[in-house]
Amino acid sequence: MSRNTQTVVRNGILTVFWAWFGARLLNDWFGGVVVPVGQPFFDPQPVADAAAALRDSAAGLGAVGAPLDVAGDVLGSASFAMTYLPDLAAGAWLTVVLTTLGIAFGVVLAVPLAAARVYGRVTRWVSLAFIELIRGTPLLAQLFVLYYALPLSRWIAAVPFVGTSVVPAQAVWVAIVGFTINSAAYQAEYIRGSIEGVDPGQLTAARAIGLSQIQGIRYVVLPQALRFAIPSWTNELVYLVKYSSLASFITVAELYHAAEAAAYDNYRFLDLFLLAAVVYVLLVLSATTTMEWVRKRVAIPGVGGSAGGRTSAD
Amino acid sequence: MADPLLDVDDVHQSYGDEQVLEGITFEMERQDVKVLVGPSGSGKSTMLRCVNRLTDIDDGDIRLDGESVYDMDADDLRRQVGMVFQDFNLFAHLTAIENVTLGLKRVLGLSEREATEKAAWQLEQVGLREQANSYPAELSGGQKQRVGIARALAMDPKLMLFDEPTSALDPELIGEVLEVMRELADEGMTMLVVTHEMGFAKQAATDVLFLDDGKLVEQGPPEQLFENPENERTAAFLSRLTQLHGGQ
Amino acid sequence: MDPTQLVLQAELGDWEFVWRQRQFFVDGTVLAVKLTFFSILLGFVLGLPAGVVEAYGGTYSKGVVRPVGVVVRGTPILVIISLTYFAGGISPAFTAATIALGVRSAAYQSQIFRGAIESVESGQMEAARAVGLSKLDAIRHVVLPQALRRSVPGFQNEFTIVLKDTSIAYAIGVAELLKRSYDLFSIQTTAALEVFLAASLIYFVLTFSVNRGIERLHNYVAIPGGNH
Repeated sequence: MSRNTQTVVRNGILTVFWAWFGARLLNDWFGGVVVPVGQPFFDPQPVADAAAALRDSAAGLGAVGAPLDVAGDVLGSASFAMTYLPDLAAGAWLTVVLTTLGIAFGVVLAVPLAAARVYGRVTRWVSLAFIELIRGTPLLAQLFVLYYALPLSRWIAAVPFVGTSVVPAQAVWVAIVGFTINSAAYQAEYIRGSIEGVDPGQLTAARAIGLSQIQGIRYVVLPQALRFAIPSWTNELVYLVKYSSLASFITVAELYHAAEAAAYDNYRFLDLFLLAAVVYVLLVLSATTTMEWVRKRVAIPGVGGSAGGRTSAD
Repeated sequence: MADPLLDVDDVHQSYGDEQVLEGITFEMERQDVKVLVGPSGSGKSTMLRCVNRLTDIDDGDIRLDGESVYDMDADDLRRQVGMVFQDFNLFAHLTAIENVTLGLKRVLGLSEREATEKAAWQLEQVGLREQANSYPAELSGGQKQRVGIARALAMDPKLMLFDEPTSALDPELIGEVLEVMRELADEGMTMLVVTHEMGFAKQAATDVLFLDDGKLVEQGPPEQLFENPENERTAAFLSRLTQLHGGQ
Repeated sequence: MDPTQLVLQAELGDWEFVWRQRQFFVDGTVLAVKLTFFSILLGFVLGLPAGVVEAYGGTYSKGVVRPVGVVVRGTPILVIISLTYFAGGISPAFTAATIALGVRSAAYQSQIFRGAIESVESGQMEAARAVGLSKLDAIRHVVLPQALRRSVPGFQNEFTIVLKDTSIAYAIGVAELLKRSYDLFSIQTTAALEVFLAASLIYFVLTFSVNRGIERLHNYVAIPGGNH
């Protein structure tokens, strides 16, 4: 496949996925507009019947029937996916929420942390200690500290509306706090690297035309540095999509949790985890595709970015 | 009559839609030193790389000792043809002497001791006995290129290809490399050289070949080409080049 | 009695609890280190050939290796671990975790190696072929020795990720550090902070030491005069 066909195929798959995902969420949020909440849009039963019929005729044909058998398996998987995807949709939505809020709140903390790391005196060491401690310990341990050891969830539970209607329950907020802290430490490192990647002559030139240090950083260094950081941000987004699954350990009903719960109902662990993996891969592809679009949108000739980040290369 | 050592017969080569070589034909006898000159993009380097099949040709044939290089195993061909690169391409993780022994051990199958002895002798020939255990990054450009020459010579090639061996060197380092090449020519090595160094062409070449736009415009002994060129383009190009790189 | 003193005593008591259970933590640490070691090793054995294929392979070999890598890298390690253990039925849990972490690590290591191989100038391959080395010999004796050196810094990242992700083997009950901390926490719930901080501290010391160790290794294998 040429690179072009690959792009077309990828975009086609993502379009179908998001059309379904959007329709699914809207339908369920508004109490079942098209089909009842949690019910498939199309009845999977005919597909399951067709799969069974194909397998039966394959069995009758012996060795010659192998292709029919395979076709039957494919249809069987399709009917399975049609039946259980609605269960995963709400979980996938939480995954998206955790990821986007984690990275968005994270960047708010990360920019001052990075600036302190590069330009600060005492704050440089505070920032460094925070970044190294967070990056040196597992995210899961951080979530456990936040959820089990700190009174965080009790405070959050006391906030009005938490856990009612569309506002997520307190465990979700604890997870968002965890991802924000964790992601801030990583993003601070990417932004620091990008700031240091900007030619120091740029800041000198900014000071020379009369800008203050802060203005020079704000109007000259950061606009370049943030572009340098885009590839790392892509990796960070991918990382958060995948590691948001750890929120299931503190009872958040995100995508992995939804798949596991469904599997305990019907004991089809393999099928459900594979289905969850497919949805994760689609979310990851959505993230990389979006970031590639962003990169092209804001690209300036001569100010490029090279990949970095906590995933080695992706 | 014996076959010529190298017989380049109506060679055509192209990259995509672009014709790089359009029917090049020439022969080399043993001990010949032929210098390829021409403007950049004229196809000189491509011509060299076709001889040891680093690049494949579209049409025509190249024969070494009467046998088409396309009937030979590529690795076997390259063992018989040494090559020196413009940017040296020394193996960065190996010392000077290990650069030379790698081919001796892995291609010719010499023992560690035989290979080391031969490599040491070869490095001494190019005046680098002292630098045998230095890594490429610790050598000057001229020293690197002399290691490159020793690496190729150690394989006892029938033919040596030089692809602009002095173009990447600072002016003061060019002399030491040309000196080694002149000695090699005096010893009777058959050499096909792409270079802009007209001094070397005048002193050491048996023939100069002028390539332009993928065609062999003119060839002949250096005195003829430099003093009585038949073609205007040859005259214009060579006089400009002599002004720039006439030296020595 | 003064209430602040009571709090202080309780906290002291919880740290004491952690100290009394130190052997439990040591065993968990040993398991986490073992799990990391075998996973990285498996990742190397699978990842190096995969990286070579991605750099030099033909249409078909690349066509297989690349999409597999994309899917493995796009799937959460928690899902991969669950697939090997619950769905794949591989047991004991330690083996399942090693395979899951190892395969995932291979998918990332292949990218480290591919990048390092592609960073070796093409002239190196050309010069090796010009001397008469076969493609395989050229890869083995000229390109890989340089590429492997350049891939060392990438392993800082990779080791740190695998080491920290051993904590996710918690999901299938491998008695590594975090699982043990959780067990201790369920015995003495007041000690939650102390127990999880102790585990985090151990992880931190481990990742920190590994990173310093890899820096030393990088200096040790550096080529004199080279800047890689």
